[in-house]
Amino acid sequence: MALHLNLFSSPFFIEQDLNMHIPDGYLSPATCGVLGAVMLPIWTVASKIVKKTLRARQVPYLAIGAAFSFVIMMFNVPIPGGSTGHAVGGVLIAILLGPWAACIAMTVALVVQALLFGDGGITAIGANCFNMAFVLPFVGYGVYKLMGVGSPIGSKRRVFASGVGAYVGICTAATVAGIELGLQPILFHTANGQALYCPYGIKTSISVMAGGNLLVFGWIEVLVTVLVFKYLQKIKDSSLFLLGKKMVDKKND
Amino acid sequence: MIRTSSLRNGSFIERSLLAAVSFIKEATLFEEYASRQGFMQGLAPGIKILTIFLLILTAVILKDLALIGLLYGLCLALALFSEIPITFFLLRTLIFIPLFSLFIAIPAIFSSVSPGQVLRQIHIFGITGMITSQGCQSAALLVARITTTVSLAVLVSLTTKHAELLKSLRHFGVPQIFVMTVSMCYRYLYLFAVMVENICGAIKSRVGIVIPHKRGQKFVAWNIANIWSRTNQMSEEVYRAMLSRGYTGEPRSLQRIKKNE
Repeated sequence: MALHLNLFSSPFFIEQDLNMHIPDGYLSPATCGVLGAVMLPIWTVASKIVKKTLRARQVPYLAIGAAFSFVIMMFNVPIPGGSTGHAVGGVLIAILLGPWAACIAMTVALVVQALLFGDGGITAIGANCFNMAFVLPFVGYGVYKLMGVGSPIGSKRRVFASGVGAYVGICTAATVAGIELGLQPILFHTANGQALYCPYGIKTSISVMAGGNLLVFGWIEVLVTVLVFKYLQKIKDSSLFLLGKKMVDKKND
Repeated sequence: MIRTSSLRNGSFIERSLLAAVSFIKEATLFEEYASRQGFMQGLAPGIKILTIFLLILTAVILKDLALIGLLYGLCLALALFSEIPITFFLLRTLIFIPLFSLFIAIPAIFSSVSPGQVLRQIHIFGITGMITSQGCQSAALLVARITTTVSLAVLVSLTTKHAELLKSLRHFGVPQIFVMTVSMCYRYLYLFAVMVENICGAIKSRVGIVIPHKRGQKFVAWNIANIWSRTNQMSEEVYRAMLSRGYTGEPRSLQRIKKNE
């Protein structure tokens, strides 16, 4: 009955809920449906690209990538003021696996969380995947690639690029989540003005979501991404160096 | 995503880490309720997922608080008939997300967020707030809906063996390769949890002291990077092991899913 004890030991998932992981009930079924529909072609393209690049390797590679994203969330980073927080790790996974593989890996992690741990939304899975498996890794990786292209993988510029990518990625994803939440009272309300889903307007939700990430959570993401990247540079991790080589090769081609 | 943990004994990293590890280990191994002979356990996983999904969708669509309350009552009745102790179920479902949602919903009862018919005026720290009828209704609706949906989702995960739950995803047209990846990820979670626990134990046994606050960040990053290196290597080994057993990239299941399952 050890699970009883752990009811109060604050599993790491709840901390993620405080930020971007939207549970069922905050978004209308229409919003969930639209975002799920948007994700369908993204998942299709992602699976095609991953299948083409990884071939038979894709299942163990992505499964381990998804499990690794859980590991990132397990580690609480001490932050000034005596608090701790954890990173989502979407940009770090995108740097290590590539953005398409990161999209699938993050989706797998979100599905496991929603279905097996009863955490996160089942109807909101499309919305959560859009924010955390699409916007977060793609924006972050895009910034990283833009800033780091042409420079050697072991350079300081790459470390800086990974940090900026992580910060921009998480803040953009949070802002997008804020927009989704903020649209609810505008689009879905009763005749007397009662909000049917998330009650906060777009200004409030964007301010809270983006503000929290700009000031605190974004920096946790930066800290984890930069320090892990630096460590992998130091030990000359094969995944980092292979990916970096491809990027430099592409530029030279 | 932030925890205001106390730093009384300075071992916050270890404590939070081990709590997460313990949660994952128990969640992946603890299938006691799924093995009981209750109502939900007797249903085929595919039917169960479909039913719960439809109930969750109903809860999200409903606008009447009383009807959502009825749905929540149904969920509790299902938990009872499935031999899940009600205190355990309430604690498991109410502590985190619904409680957090309640805090989120509180400001929504005021006229600044939800303008409308004023029910009451209150003064807090010299600030006057007006509670509106519309605000109270939307806050109550939000909390009730979230409590019901979280309870339904937890009910299905508690009463179904996780391997069967994942397998049943194929009924809904989810590609076999995705189901296989999710199943594999789920199995790795336990392995990673053990790995993290061992790292903590190894560091503690060698260093013998708690990690200072300043070095904590480096400690966390080093561990994440180290686990990545090990898992990256592991994925290659797993792939080779799969190849040696005849895996060609196209997943095949030895167990056929019957239509009535």
